Amino acid sequence: MRDDDRRLDATDRGASDGGGIAIPDVSAGLIDRSIYSDPDIYQLELQRIFARAWNFMCHETQIPHAGDYFINYIGEDQVIVVRGADDKVRVLLNTCRHRGNALCRAELGNTKTFVCSYHGWTYGLDGALIGVPGKADFYRNAIDQAKWGLAPAAQVDHYKGFYFATLDPAAPCLFDYLGDVGRVGIESMLNEGDVVSLDGVQKNVIDCNWKIAVDNLFDWYHVKVSHSSASSVGFLNQRLMMPMTQMVMLGELGHAIGGPMVTAEQQAKLDALSDAERLAIDRLADAERAKATPVERRPLRTTATREAMGPVGVRAIGHPNIFPNLWISTRGLQLSLRLPRGPGRTEIWWFTVMPKSFTDTQRRAAKKFITHAFGPAGLLEQDDGENWSQSTRSSHGVASRRYPHNLQMAMGQDEVLVDPSGQKRIETRVNEHAQRWTYRCWAEWLRARDWPELLATRSPAPTGRI
Amino acid sequence: MTDWLHHRKVLAALGTTGNGGDAVTSPDLSEKIALQYAVEQFLYREAALLDDRRFDDWLALIADDIHYWMPIRRTVTVENLHLEYAKADGMAYFDDDKSDLKMRVDRLRLNSAWSENPPSRTRHFVSNVRILEVKGPEIALEAAIHLYRSRLNDKIDHWIGKRRDRLRRVGDGFQIVERHIFLDQTVLLSTNFSSLF
Repeated sequence: MRDDDRRLDATDRGASDGGGIAIPDVSAGLIDRSIYSDPDIYQLELQRIFARAWNFMCHETQIPHAGDYFINYIGEDQVIVVRGADDKVRVLLNTCRHRGNALCRAELGNTKTFVCSYHGWTYGLDGALIGVPGKADFYRNAIDQAKWGLAPAAQVDHYKGFYFATLDPAAPCLFDYLGDVGRVGIESMLNEGDVVSLDGVQKNVIDCNWKIAVDNLFDWYHVKVSHSSASSVGFLNQRLMMPMTQMVMLGELGHAIGGPMVTAEQQAKLDALSDAERLAIDRLADAERAKATPVERRPLRTTATREAMGPVGVRAIGHPNIFPNLWISTRGLQLSLRLPRGPGRTEIWWFTVMPKSFTDTQRRAAKKFITHAFGPAGLLEQDDGENWSQSTRSSHGVASRRYPHNLQMAMGQDEVLVDPSGQKRIETRVNEHAQRWTYRCWAEWLRARDWPELLATRSPAPTGRI
Repeated sequence: MTDWLHHRKVLAALGTTGNGGDAVTSPDLSEKIALQYAVEQFLYREAALLDDRRFDDWLALIADDIHYWMPIRRTVTVENLHLEYAKADGMAYFDDDKSDLKMRVDRLRLNSAWSENPPSRTRHFVSNVRILEVKGPEIALEAAIHLYRSRLNDKIDHWIGKRRDRLRRVGDGFQIVERHIFLDQTVLLSTNFSSLF
């Protein structure tokens, strides 16, 4: 299945660059299985996707005080996300500049300094090297501490409290990187104003390729089968689990939203309600809400959210993915990272946020739903991991891997509609548009040698027949 | 109250409250041993019900007001040990009441509970059982647990940790009122938790 025409040119073959790797053509919705197992492709992903992209770090309320830190990853590079004495949030590679030892071995905490357990090099919260044991006696003062601070991420920024970092100085600013679709995704968490992180990030490891975990979030086809047991025991009703009307928004660089939608007619009825009326309906028990509103699925979005998300975005109530690996989930209450740990291994992290304005009752109800839906013990998620793991495993079989995955559902059968506001969307049924878009952009990221080339060659958000 | 005081004396005799000097000579010792025996036998039988996939029989041992909880545990430094567990009002892996557990058990009966079809083979080990407190009809205990799961042909999980249970005497036996599970892994090296602890 490899397409030698797609082979990158020789100028790209550097010792530290994975250039020269064949990137399979995924444009026809046929996915060569090598992309789930090939170690060379995986290395190229670390270099050309993760080390280049804006990666989600944490929410500002996870590290509210000076010295608070949270450990995260950019690809396989471990980073310390830390709030300095100056209140600034920095992202520093968690590796001592002396011999590379991990400075911080905890997942989170509060500290005044980071002291290396190997030889005691000590760094401040801003990453500056502030202590070198034996500096006079052993180094004879011949070390310039200013040159040996912790390596910082090239850029750190937040969008409304959600922190991201990139290792690439040439990356566009976060706002532009997210684009309309990425921002709509984050705004979907802010319907009731500021949010606060709920203590505790669930983390587990699945033997699957990270992309299979990512593309699954757009997959409303598997829900009825994979998760049928959850509806059989009454956790979620079948109608909510697999709604017939679906909307897809595709954003440049690979961001996308796919899943259920509020129809234009339903939205017109919602627009006639005041925010107070919407929030009151939103707080009703499920059965009552179903009778009281044109839209059964919560949350009913407020006027401010409508302004922030735009007239199309406000109707998208599916699953946003901020490329490459951040799923905004659970009706805007959770974020899930799919962190690569080798071609066949992925760490799944679940962050939870709640509106500050939630009452105790709302918080309890939301927490109950979340705990039972996702995470390794979740009634939905329990059944996903093994599917992903077996799909990944089959990509190693000599014969199995000759057969590409089929992501052709609804290909060429829908139309991208452009709203007067400029927002684009596909209104359709269950489909695989967002998965195809994700893989198409994935290939563009891998083929481009740097940010300027990526910006010059990336596909614009599609229009017309799709 | 009298009952509670009585049991405190029994506990003291067994040495679980820190003064075990008179354990051998205590007249209450036989009663203490009987309680320890009854509790351990209950825990072993309960473990066997889960391993034998007799989930409905297991559910019958669960009190209607159970709190079944597994908090998120994290790797932290000695200075930050107070952050080791996510707060009680934070996120957890399990935070179940009886209706939630019933949903989990009901699910396991279905062919479409894919994470358990084919079923896992499990072995629940319970050891180091220490009765911490006896208060009226309720007995608080702590135990070390080891849950081994063999899945498909080559997937193996070991979950080891501490369990704090509160049992309630009901008729001749016990029901579980509280089960708090503290695993020793922080990042869980498993695809999922489709087994019950």
